Amino acid sequence: MSKPYMGKILMVDLSDQTMTPEAIPDRVYEEYLSGMGLGAYILFNRVPAGADPLGPANILGFCSGFLTGTGSLFSGRWTLVGKSPLTGCWGDANCGGTFSPAIKHSGYDAIFFKGISPHPVYLYIKNGKATLKDAAELWGCDAIETEGLLKQQYGPKAAVAVIGPSGEKLSLISGVCSDRGRIAARSGLGAVMGAKKLKAVVLEGVHRIGASDPAAMKRLSRQCLKWVNFPLPLPGGMMANVGTLLRVSPLVFPQDGLLYTSILRKWGTGGMNQTSIEWGDAPLKNWDGSNCDFPTKKSRTLNPDLIKKTEIVKYHCYSCPLGCGGICTSKGKQAHAHKPEYESILALSGLCMNGDLDSVYYLNDLLNRAGMDTISAGATAAFAIECYEKGILTREDTGGLELTWGNTEAVVALIRKMIKREGIGDLLADGTKAAAKKIGKGSIEFAIQAGGQEPAMHDGRNDPGFNVHYCLEPTPGRHTLGAHLYYEMFQLWKRVKGLPKPSPLYTKGSKYKVNREKAQAAAACSKFMSLANGAGMCMFGLFIGAKRIPTFDWLNAASGWTLTPEEYMTIGERIQTLKQAFNIKHGIEPKDNFISARALGKPPQKEGANKGRFVDIEKLAPDYWDQFGWDKATGKPEEETLRRLNII
Amino acid sequence: MPHTITETCNGCGACARVCPASAITGEKKKLHFIDADLCIDCGACGKTCPQSAVLDAGDASCTMIKRSEWPKPEIIIESCIACGICIDACPVGCLVLSERPRKKGVDAFSYLKNPKTCIGCGFCSRECPVDCIMMRKPEKVVAHEA
Repeated sequence: MSKPYMGKILMVDLSDQTMTPEAIPDRVYEEYLSGMGLGAYILFNRVPAGADPLGPANILGFCSGFLTGTGSLFSGRWTLVGKSPLTGCWGDANCGGTFSPAIKHSGYDAIFFKGISPHPVYLYIKNGKATLKDAAELWGCDAIETEGLLKQQYGPKAAVAVIGPSGEKLSLISGVCSDRGRIAARSGLGAVMGAKKLKAVVLEGVHRIGASDPAAMKRLSRQCLKWVNFPLPLPGGMMANVGTLLRVSPLVFPQDGLLYTSILRKWGTGGMNQTSIEWGDAPLKNWDGSNCDFPTKKSRTLNPDLIKKTEIVKYHCYSCPLGCGGICTSKGKQAHAHKPEYESILALSGLCMNGDLDSVYYLNDLLNRAGMDTISAGATAAFAIECYEKGILTREDTGGLELTWGNTEAVVALIRKMIKREGIGDLLADGTKAAAKKIGKGSIEFAIQAGGQEPAMHDGRNDPGFNVHYCLEPTPGRHTLGAHLYYEMFQLWKRVKGLPKPSPLYTKGSKYKVNREKAQAAAACSKFMSLANGAGMCMFGLFIGAKRIPTFDWLNAASGWTLTPEEYMTIGERIQTLKQAFNIKHGIEPKDNFISARALGKPPQKEGANKGRFVDIEKLAPDYWDQFGWDKATGKPEEETLRRLNII
Repeated sequence: MPHTITETCNGCGACARVCPASAITGEKKKLHFIDADLCIDCGACGKTCPQSAVLDAGDASCTMIKRSEWPKPEIIIESCIACGICIDACPVGCLVLSERPRKKGVDAFSYLKNPKTCIGCGFCSRECPVDCIMMRKPEKVVAHEA
């Protein structure tokens, strides 16, 4: 019977350049799957308390998903794990493309790096044989250039993950790139790779990935395809109106994810650009503005139909039938670059009040090449603009840049400086919190971050669920683990017993009420997404709904286990608790990770979609923590919980 | 069960050259050996061996087939969902996702870019979730005059 996992990892010690394959017992996969779960298991046990994230003791791991390569769909995501230098907490970043199956094809479930190399190196694995090679010639090259050079040498089938100049320069908002511009961007793990002097990981291998019951895997995939291809008519040019309708309607109904997958299929994540601005989901003007500041007249340059026009062909990550990505060309500036994602577009446009789409394309490519997180880069630029507008930063500080709202040229120049760490760029290249600490003068008020990480372009004042996860996740500022909206779309109550079903029609105001059901829903999202990250699943696929996308059944058919959805949720709970325990071990106080007051609605906005909204996170937190068996007052996992989950 | 090499091997090394997993080792003119941990059962060695010295996963003896007659994948583009599972399954990287859309619109599809490197293993066809890949012996192409 074939197993979906390889049963071993590769531990590379860069300090003494040794490579040790290690067998991982089946028990670990049964309790944590692989992906983020295996990463958390290794890091929790092996990173010493208080380790410097940029020091030799930190471990950086490239983990493939448990379901990757088993014949399941939407399961091609890999997770980069490490202690985050940006937040000091547990750090992970997630990326699609083709790197996840390549890890398994190389014969390992995950590759971990510890120590610091005395000179720049890259790891090359061919059919299980690993070697560290000199990267002196690659050091300094941008991410796409480096990938090109390595593929020239090893052939187009080689899978490559690299850091760009941002990671080399230890920018705390840098990530790791693969597939010519896909990026595991969050948590600043590119800086960890840069600190280790590891330029790239190159994988070539043909190791076969098995599944316990391949026929069942195929059958389940086909059942799921029926829903992926479900045709919902979506006329172009109406997305802004959908947002306006959502804003003015006092009553809402639980949203079906099929609508979202149809939007993703047609436009990609950028399909929600104008809808989000109108509806109040997208933060504007460094979280101080509203849809009134960026009306449809202004946002029409971000119309998804315009973006679609630049798309040459769709881009699919491995095992994805949806294809939300795209390869674009933009007015002769770049031939063939990845289509900018919603997060990148909004962070570089609305958040800085920049209405110029061409500049977004340009910056998106520039940041992908540099290996810098577009969300954090955009948010830091917006922070700098607000500081300049408020007189905290002067023209002298900015090196002559006129950092005013909507000044496209200044934003472009500023981000170029951040990438090069020149002048003011050096100050800003480590994100808003670090910059505010250095600037002082009360600028911390304008640094919108949770635990040091800039939240994504989803306003928690519009969907309080986002604020819950920004504040309470072991990876603060994370938008991909849960939200009120995600809970509705995951439709977990249809598969998992005991979860609350949203009422068919409710008032918007009821979303802000603190009650047990909210905590249950938020905890279920965290557990489910932790499980999904262990499995290597894509959140966009999961939006189709738990009854339509057979996550639990795929897991059983791939592994040969016969676990119930509830038992799988316990695996998610275990991964989530282990991440929290990692933070506690490293001296993190969960309460310190709460998001900046402005993003909670303190003071409340005076106009726009989120007028008067306030999210009482102090009241929400105890209930959420209680759902996991963590201390209600401090968020620390109780000893009894750790025992129940077999962590200690 | 991996492929194995029997005593009839004359050590010509053809199998080692075609093996995509670098699983076959051996000195020239001496008995070659397949590393069971590396073998992926693609069957390329069996189709190459002039001595019929390779036993397949079921211990049956393989017969040599002329490379031009090895089966190749034929993809029904209309049914392809562009999931890329076949591209990843291919041990020699001869399939790729199209750089152009299939017709109107922007939908991608996978296609056989390098037919010459294809080893006819059929992994693409076996793993395709929508079964839109057929392994077929190529029809004889009349060579054009130079």
